[in-house]
Amino acid sequence: MIFSYNWLQSFFKEKLPKPEKLAEILTMASFEVSEVEKRGNDFILVIDILSNRAPDCFSHLGIARECSALLNYKIQIPDAKLKEDKTKKARDLIKIEVKDKKACPRYSARVITDVKVGPSPKWLKERLEACGLQSINNIVDVANYVMLETGQPLHAFDVGKIEERKIIIRKAKKGEKISALDGKKYELDNNILLIADQKEPLAIAGIKGGRKAEIDKKTKTIVLESANFDPIVIAKSSKKLNLRTDASLRFEHGIDPNLTESAINRVASLITEIAKGKVTKGLIDFYPKKVLPRKIKLDLNYVDSLIGAKISEKEVKNILERLGFKTKKIKTQLIKVTVPTFRLDVSLPEDLIEEIARIHGYNNVVPISPIAILIPPVKNLDIFWEDMTKNILKDMGFTEVYNYSFISKKENDIFNFKNLIELENPLSSDYQYLRASLIPNLLKNVSKNQKIPGEIKIFELGKIFRKAGEKRMLTVLMSGDRFFEAKGIIDLLFNKLGIAKVWYDDFGPTPEESKTSLWVQKKCAEIKVNQEELGFLGEIFPKILGRFKIIGKVVAFDLDFEKLSRLSSEEHEFRPISSYPAAIQDIAVLVPLGVLVDEILNKIQIVGGNLVRDVDLFDIYEGEELPEGKKNLAFHIIYQAEDRTLSSDEINKIHKKIINALEENPEWQVRKQ
Amino acid sequence: MTIRIPLKKEVETEIKSAKNLKELDQVFKKYLGKNGEIIIGLKSLRDLPKEKRAKAGKELNILKSFLEKELKARTGDLEDKIKKEIKKEEWIDITIPGRKPSIGHLHPLTQTKRKFEEIFQSMGFSVIEGPEIENEWYNFEALNIPAHHPARSTFCLSLCRTFYLKGGNLLRSHTSPVQIRYMEKHHPPLRIIVPGRIFRNEATDAKHEFNFYHIEGLMVDKSVSIANFKAILQEFLNKFFQKTIKMRLRPCYFPFTEPSFEVDIECVVCGGKGCSTCLGSGWIEMMGAGMVHPNVFKNVGLNPKDWQGFAFGMGMDRFAMMKYKINDIRFFNSGDLRFLQQF
Repeated sequence: MIFSYNWLQSFFKEKLPKPEKLAEILTMASFEVSEVEKRGNDFILVIDILSNRAPDCFSHLGIARECSALLNYKIQIPDAKLKEDKTKKARDLIKIEVKDKKACPRYSARVITDVKVGPSPKWLKERLEACGLQSINNIVDVANYVMLETGQPLHAFDVGKIEERKIIIRKAKKGEKISALDGKKYELDNNILLIADQKEPLAIAGIKGGRKAEIDKKTKTIVLESANFDPIVIAKSSKKLNLRTDASLRFEHGIDPNLTESAINRVASLITEIAKGKVTKGLIDFYPKKVLPRKIKLDLNYVDSLIGAKISEKEVKNILERLGFKTKKIKTQLIKVTVPTFRLDVSLPEDLIEEIARIHGYNNVVPISPIAILIPPVKNLDIFWEDMTKNILKDMGFTEVYNYSFISKKENDIFNFKNLIELENPLSSDYQYLRASLIPNLLKNVSKNQKIPGEIKIFELGKIFRKAGEKRMLTVLMSGDRFFEAKGIIDLLFNKLGIAKVWYDDFGPTPEESKTSLWVQKKCAEIKVNQEELGFLGEIFPKILGRFKIIGKVVAFDLDFEKLSRLSSEEHEFRPISSYPAAIQDIAVLVPLGVLVDEILNKIQIVGGNLVRDVDLFDIYEGEELPEGKKNLAFHIIYQAEDRTLSSDEINKIHKKIINALEENPEWQVRKQ
Repeated sequence: MTIRIPLKKEVETEIKSAKNLKELDQVFKKYLGKNGEIIIGLKSLRDLPKEKRAKAGKELNILKSFLEKELKARTGDLEDKIKKEIKKEEWIDITIPGRKPSIGHLHPLTQTKRKFEEIFQSMGFSVIEGPEIENEWYNFEALNIPAHHPARSTFCLSLCRTFYLKGGNLLRSHTSPVQIRYMEKHHPPLRIIVPGRIFRNEATDAKHEFNFYHIEGLMVDKSVSIANFKAILQEFLNKFFQKTIKMRLRPCYFPFTEPSFEVDIECVVCGGKGCSTCLGSGWIEMMGAGMVHPNVFKNVGLNPKDWQGFAFGMGMDRFAMMKYKINDIRFFNSGDLRFLQQF
């Protein structure tokens, strides 16, 4: 909000600090000055008024009161020297009826006769223009001037144009229309409060005047409105009509109902001065429930305790009184504070402590380390396993990425995710849904980075969202034909996380699923621990890669991180190193192409029992020299016992047993070397 | 019978002209080997008449020790020469760039988050997380921001730029809902920090994102004060930036704290002189903070008369940008490996 430096100065006899200095003082005391600019022989200060201080500080008077407290200057409030014309009574010239007293807790009005509508004097124009308002005529300008001065929006109607000289404050009827002063027509509904005459609307209460009773050159008698409206009613109406004005802005934040009277008197007094009007006798005032000052008991020990510094009783009283509060000592360390009604934001002892602390100066509070029980922080296992997993992947050469939590409609169409959560107010159609998988955005990363030389190895650990809720996923992507590398990474990751018995199951999608499958059929697997499914590993379907303009293959795995972190364990048991020598024997088996390596491994393990310490697949060969439809698998078998040296006889015996077992299958043939 | 006694000079020439150890060995064999001239000569001494024997023996022995000495010296020379030659052959150009093993990279925000966690955990704060999908109660009402409160429309405008979800929930616009969730289940005294992803419906530019990170702090005990907040925060800032950071508190307004303030730090780029980062002011606004509002205590079932506490919330992205001198917040979610692989 814009404030005039000269105007602020007019409240004080003492000279205010220079504009920049004043700006700094205000900034450090709640009122951040974002701009200081010279305008003619004045300066303007653009001040960000905090919303809780809007009721009293959307006005020069409010900021002047702050200056007074901060600088310890005495403020001079311009008084309204009002001379009433005893011959005419306001009540005889206009009637006021408030039909909705909840929406309009106070309505004050004055009637002024014999006004001469014309241009405003130069000083008035200058003040308004400095604050960004345009001069219209002397009546409207004075009303606006007093609003900028006191914070009370005011309005003037031409009495001659009001049907039956009666003003009614009521809710609009559905479909009712008004031609406003901005030249636009607004259609109203029954939540909008109106100022109307017997026949039609005169103004949208607290927001905008109407054309009907507009002040013009011929206007002689005016009625001034100084009212108080319910903030929520005004806020909703303003939003509904998409119409924000200087008046609505103030009403939305709430205003002291006791302000209407002093403000209207100030306007009336200025109008007699500037537009030669005569103020008729009496203030018409609808004010059924007078708002009285709040009283708060303030425990000075609590003041010291919350701030963490000793603030003397004298200083507390001094600060509060400079801000317009009244204080009275009740007993030792306890005072009663009377809050001026314009301070709508102060209702609790904590609110008073804020006033004391900010005027005392937060920067004068000396830091003190807290005294607390020495409790070690609780270890957050979710974060612990996250950190561990990220470190393992980093060590294996992966780069961590962060992506937005959103995907577009177009992206969703590619994957056809079910039970997506849609946004009510997306930033754009690119971010219309919450991501149900980390894969789409990771594919975008691959696409974006594929021009950079080198392999792409990335991962993300983040939340995904479905109607059933949110959960963390770990998704890892690698460019290239690297299924087994990815599988090895999963094995190593699980091993490091202390999860044993991970295995890979065939994934058989239903025909329906396979149409939109993410994975290349028969080149993907379910990752399982015991019978629990943890995720998927596979090659991404080429058609999907095509949609992301990705060249080449991409292998990915996708793990439910909630399950993973639940299964993870820090326990790790040492397996004794046998002090007896190991013997390695190789074996090569010729088997039909469809035979799984696992089938052979299992057989070796079962027959070999615990004398087979390990079996390593070291070669897979399919080629011309081999019989049609066959492949050759070669293994190292490591024989070792924990309690003795195995004799060559013993080894040969087991080895022979294994060969025989493998050859039980007529299609399997162990090749002699 | 005569014995040929080789000439000293002759021997000397032969040793000197040996170009390598092999040639030198031949010289050795020629004179001192099993059938070497001197060895044979010495063996034949007894066949000489007595008068000649002594003289010849003396000469032979002198020559033998001379030879031994010279051979040893020459061997040393040749060995040194060989060593030098080997050295010359093994010379490498140490300016050739080293071969780096391929390792990965953690996102700068992960690293920043860990730094926050490490510092606060060292001061006894536990790290807590909460859901990203929230409801009106936790995101607003329990935090003393009732519907239609003027604060909802104007206070901290960005907070209210909330993403709503079909079905009525919303994406949290700050991490403060976790204060409520935590206090509902845990009785004070408590000390927590809450890192997490938050969402605000606003256009992006170099300084603004709609999907970013906050870190929330909360300490509640019998007599926690503003002075305590200043001490904890100062400690954090100094440790995070690894130097003494000047900070200041400016009064502010947040519905969930009273008193409320904003914390500015002296610009770490220019040291407070004024630059483009701090827009010439020398100060950078880093976070909002304050003393927990009594209504917030009431909303979680605590008696505000019994407890006092401070709360703060700050942008993690902002700290990371300051620490690594990153000029555009949008890099964090860009997935650009040229950016990420610098960390």
